[in-house]
Amino acid sequence: MTSLALTRESIARVRPGPAVAAVLIALFLLLFLVVPVVQVIFVAFQDKTTGSFTLINFADFFRNDLFMRSFWNSFYVSAMSVVVASALALPLAYLTTRFEFRGAVLIQSLGIIPLIMPPFIGAVAMQLLFGRNGTVNLLLRDHFGISIPFMEGLNGVIFVQSIHYFPFILINLSASLKNIDRAMEESAQNLGCHGFRLFRRIVFPLAMPGYVAGASLVFIKVFDDLGTPLLLNVNDMLAPQAYLRISSIGIADPMGYVISVVLIVCSLLALWVSALAMKGKDYATVQRGGGGLARRRMKPLELVAAYAVVLLILVLVLAPHIGLTLLSFATIWSFSPFPDAFTMKHYGTVFLESGQYITNTLLYASLAALLDVVIGTAIAYLVLRTKLPGRQWLDYVAMAALAVPGVVLGIGYLRSFYDVPMPFTGQPLSGFWLILVFALAIRRLPYALRACTAALQQVSNSLEEAAENLGATKLRTISRVVVPLMSGGILAGFVTSFATAAVELSATIMLVHSQSDAPLAYGLYVYMQSAAGRGPGAALGVFAVVIVGLGTYLSHVIIERGRRERGQDH
Amino acid sequence: MSRTLHGVAAALAVMLASSTAAFAQDPSGKLVVVTSFPKDLTSAFQQAFQKAYPKVTLEVLNRNTNAGVKYLQETASNNGTDLFWASAPDAFEVLKGANLLQAYKPKVEGIPDKVGAYPINDPEGMYAGFAASGYGIMWNSRYMKANDLPAPKEWSDLAKPVYYDHVAISAPSRSGTTHLTIETILQGEGWEKGWRTNKEIAGNYRTITERSFGVPDGVNSGSFGVGIVIDFFALSSQASGFPVEFVYPTVTTIVPANIGIVKNAPNKVAAETFVDFILSPEGQEVLLQPAIRRLPVNPATYAKAPADYPNPFKDTSLGSQVNFDVEVSQARYNVVDALFDQLITFQLDGLKAATRAIHQADAALAKKPNDKGKALLAEARDLVAAMPVTAQEAADPQLAGAFTVERKSATDAVPERQAQVEQKWAAFAKDNYAAARKKAEEALALAR
Amino acid sequence: MNHQFSPTSLAAGMQSVGVRIDGVDLSYGSHRVLKDIHLDIKPGEFFAFLGPSGCGKTTLLRLIAGFNTAQRGAVTIGGRDISGLPAHKRDVGMVFQSYALWPHMTVRRNVAFGLEERRVPRAEIERRVDAALDLVGLKHLADRRPSQLSGGQQQRVALARTIVIKPKVLLLDEPLSNLDAKLRVQMRQELLSLQRKLGLTTIFVTHDQEEANTICDRIAVMEDGIVQQVGTPQELYDHPANLFVAGFLGTANVLEGQVRAVDGGTAFVMGGGVPIPLPHGVEPGAEGKLMFRPQNLFIRQDGGPPRAGHVRLMGVVRHREFLGASIRYAVDIGGQQVQVDAPHQAGDALLPTDTPITLDLAADKARFLRR
Repeated sequence: MTSLALTRESIARVRPGPAVAAVLIALFLLLFLVVPVVQVIFVAFQDKTTGSFTLINFADFFRNDLFMRSFWNSFYVSAMSVVVASALALPLAYLTTRFEFRGAVLIQSLGIIPLIMPPFIGAVAMQLLFGRNGTVNLLLRDHFGISIPFMEGLNGVIFVQSIHYFPFILINLSASLKNIDRAMEESAQNLGCHGFRLFRRIVFPLAMPGYVAGASLVFIKVFDDLGTPLLLNVNDMLAPQAYLRISSIGIADPMGYVISVVLIVCSLLALWVSALAMKGKDYATVQRGGGGLARRRMKPLELVAAYAVVLLILVLVLAPHIGLTLLSFATIWSFSPFPDAFTMKHYGTVFLESGQYITNTLLYASLAALLDVVIGTAIAYLVLRTKLPGRQWLDYVAMAALAVPGVVLGIGYLRSFYDVPMPFTGQPLSGFWLILVFALAIRRLPYALRACTAALQQVSNSLEEAAENLGATKLRTISRVVVPLMSGGILAGFVTSFATAAVELSATIMLVHSQSDAPLAYGLYVYMQSAAGRGPGAALGVFAVVIVGLGTYLSHVIIERGRRERGQDH
Repeated sequence: MSRTLHGVAAALAVMLASSTAAFAQDPSGKLVVVTSFPKDLTSAFQQAFQKAYPKVTLEVLNRNTNAGVKYLQETASNNGTDLFWASAPDAFEVLKGANLLQAYKPKVEGIPDKVGAYPINDPEGMYAGFAASGYGIMWNSRYMKANDLPAPKEWSDLAKPVYYDHVAISAPSRSGTTHLTIETILQGEGWEKGWRTNKEIAGNYRTITERSFGVPDGVNSGSFGVGIVIDFFALSSQASGFPVEFVYPTVTTIVPANIGIVKNAPNKVAAETFVDFILSPEGQEVLLQPAIRRLPVNPATYAKAPADYPNPFKDTSLGSQVNFDVEVSQARYNVVDALFDQLITFQLDGLKAATRAIHQADAALAKKPNDKGKALLAEARDLVAAMPVTAQEAADPQLAGAFTVERKSATDAVPERQAQVEQKWAAFAKDNYAAARKKAEEALALAR
Repeated sequence: MNHQFSPTSLAAGMQSVGVRIDGVDLSYGSHRVLKDIHLDIKPGEFFAFLGPSGCGKTTLLRLIAGFNTAQRGAVTIGGRDISGLPAHKRDVGMVFQSYALWPHMTVRRNVAFGLEERRVPRAEIERRVDAALDLVGLKHLADRRPSQLSGGQQQRVALARTIVIKPKVLLLDEPLSNLDAKLRVQMRQELLSLQRKLGLTTIFVTHDQEEANTICDRIAVMEDGIVQQVGTPQELYDHPANLFVAGFLGTANVLEGQVRAVDGGTAFVMGGGVPIPLPHGVEPGAEGKLMFRPQNLFIRQDGGPPRAGHVRLMGVVRHREFLGASIRYAVDIGGQQVQVDAPHQAGDALLPTDTPITLDLAADKARFLRR
């Protein structure tokens, strides 16, 4: 009798809350990620003449020299970008977390700014600075008679991409480095290991999970990225090929969709490989009583060298933004190391014309980021703290968004939601501005999800159990204990989502249906279509960077303060 | 909240507007325009129009021509766009073919039938020309001076060795205007000779951009010296203060930029009003603004233009050399794009290597003539110029079908898939360029 | 640091209740962690779950707190079956091994948490929090963050946070394991005095037999998911039910041999050695081992005959450990090793290893334990 009653009760104890949350999230992902993507990629498997299922299109892909060349180029560029990005990120992360370094928070914040590279003008600025006839090469040619092909062909893509995406490695690696127990390093020193060997044998391996996470993100983003190669006029890479195919008029060619499938598969593969590489290496390194990595003091000479390295890297990675700022104040900048003269009038133009873009962007990006951290926290909680069957799939599907190129998502949304009229107004649903928010949220969800998962992993289970034990319900426990303790990670996720959503173009451009609803990226696009728009476009870009950069810096300060208030590390 | 309310209000306004249209022709409500035109042009018209018709809210959606067409196609089932406003007539032909436009005869008087040799309006009235544009060559004078380059005048000038690695163009598959430039050369010089010219110029390309604005942008920055562009890009850059120059070559065509009312336009009355407005003297004058600089289709407007403003209605040399055949262009539209991409865009390295070798051999042979060398060089040139398809084949609907086929029935057989055709062309070009380079190098060796 | 808990109004209104565990079975997959556990913990009792790590003691504790679910069986507190209740409705206070203090809240907010969840009026919360902090002597640190406290202070906060809600039962999960040795001894006395003053039924999980012995009324010794024996510390030590209990509480000498009939009764015979008489109730041929404590053996250097009831054994010293008050010798007797404690006085010489030695065993202290 007792056992029967108990079984019934244990069934009743699988409370409905998590299940409801899981179903809601699953629905959201299905509706705004899976369905639109499937809408697009199924074309790849369709016989053009009969409409039946076929793999012939994939055979065509592998038989086509151009596509194979594009494939290898994409692979090469992605791999090289990881290498260059690592070279940029390693010293910054290591020096700022490992040593007593004045301005570490500032450097960390500045290091994230390259992620906020507004579309179009970033590339224009880089051309003006590093192009064949850019500032650097004009000066080099005048004084030394040489020039460096920074921006020629694939080099240019690698250069711009590694600068653009290196913050992914910086952020993840810094977080890992900060979480390494002091004792790990001290015991190595105690056993006679020091200097670079200490870094190579102990510190770096322990920080490996963070590094791999960042590096795989860089690889995937570069592999999928469309904007940079297009703007640098490199077309023999996969993403541009897909885009060119899909967006050509009047052409009903499945190859664009085939390439999209290849892109998605490759990205998933990269995610899987990185997960495999990290398996069993998820060192929970902060032990009781241990602080983070001990910060060492540097000798004066070392300090000078370290500052020189950091400064050099910062100048390099902030070059697009320096160029952008110059451009926004420039009257004319043409075939000369520096602009002819400076003016404030572009800012005036932007003030008059573009307030709407900025408010829209703030609205969309913060809504999208909010949605991301809510869903990210929920998924992280469901995966780590409940035993719902299939909960892992929420994580997988949400992460798969990382592998979906923005254009594919944009077209998928148009296909999926255009025929659905909105209640009351009868306008197509895809024209509703909230759809744009959903698209941005889906695109940025993986970042927020990883940040939330990492944050939750650091919240000890017993902290939650203590709350329940003291009479708090699950929901109260989550709101009073779990979420506050995750706040650093949630904020980090919010900022990453917000910052990158604010300058997202590829999905945006497909989904903007009226100017009054358009965000900043669209405004930039419009400005950068005319000769007279270059200055105002740059000014608008500067606005974007300043707004997002300030937000990032503020949240860094908040995170750091919270960390300090709670004691160094918990 | 206010946003939603605003949307509801706008929708209500539209509903009211359309229901009262039969009684009063007073336009009001929201007018949605999809356009490829830059902000300079659209906002100038927007201001002028809203001054004249304050009850209409003009919503401008910026898309490049191709994306705009794609957008209209994807959204046709629940259309919310009133007007399509862009340069390339071909894009309008595509829309017309897809039955996405509706006919309207503008009420404005005094607009001629043709500008240059090109009819201003669609004979079926599906779209109307409102401004003329010609294609030409733009260059950065600082760049030219620094690199000691002469100013070009004709397309053929761009094929000269001196311009090697200095010229840029946008891919015709990406830019409706470039497509017209290429097509103009093909129609002006004939299929074989036209491609020869195109490829000889292409041998000098520095880059092929993905957006038509990428070319003037690069010339403005000085990334490259010479660009093949539509006139207003150059004229407005000049007006913005960039050190650039522009010239119309003899073989060019003056083509109207157009506007068309989209089928099932939600606000048809306002759409028609807008079309009439931009053709009116008031609207046409907007085109003369320095940041816009387009050629009005209303000849009367030129009276108000600056002294050296090009006037295609007076200057008969402008654009009348080629009798542009829209039908021919339409029949091979996709084939020309794909040929350009496969033979030039994606084989640019091979083509440039061959061209460089030819230039070197040519220079060497000029100093030290050698008959065998000359013959080899001619062969090399022919190899570069060779085309995998003839003009007849290019216009063959069978071939075009590989690009456009929309299944109408399961028995609609398509001979080849696009990817197959393209692979064949790419291999053809790659082999020919390699062979040409080899021959040119042999010729050079003989001239040593 | 030498603080003693003082009783306050906190004790008021607390009514001691008993805890019953009835046939509880718990498995993780195919791994049975708890096997048919029956326990009856009396109201006001200080009760310990003692056992090596992995024996299931923490699982059982968490089951009572509601963090684990049993496949079978019931948990009753004060006569009420709580098996179906979620953790937050159980009113059992738990102090976690890691203390689980929330780093984002001050000490005061940590302690107030449970009362806030119970919608206790503001003023009363403040009063009770003050009382609880006073009880553990930390009132002056109320506005600190947990990370600014020492381990002992954190432990007191965890305790205050738990008792402030007046739980029916107090659960302590290895609460002393994170403290240093001296503080541990001090804290366990404080715990005991607090428990006595509040009269709170308390369950204490530990792997340290000394901890359990010194403060607990009764102990359940657990191994392999099974309760091996329940009893007072003395019962367990003196009358272990089996070899495991014997070995886990204190040091046990265990000898192998056979039970044979000898004149006047049964005796335990080691391989060819001396018979050791066994009490009644052990039949010849029974399978088992003989267990006795080191202090049941006496070293005889004088050569005299064994005392009454003692059995003489001959051996060789193999090792020795100097413990201060005594010396523990490891002695080989006929191939089996036993440990002998010899009292130590200043100046006594230690026996060198490999010395032949005569031992007398107080046979009535030896226990035959069946397999």
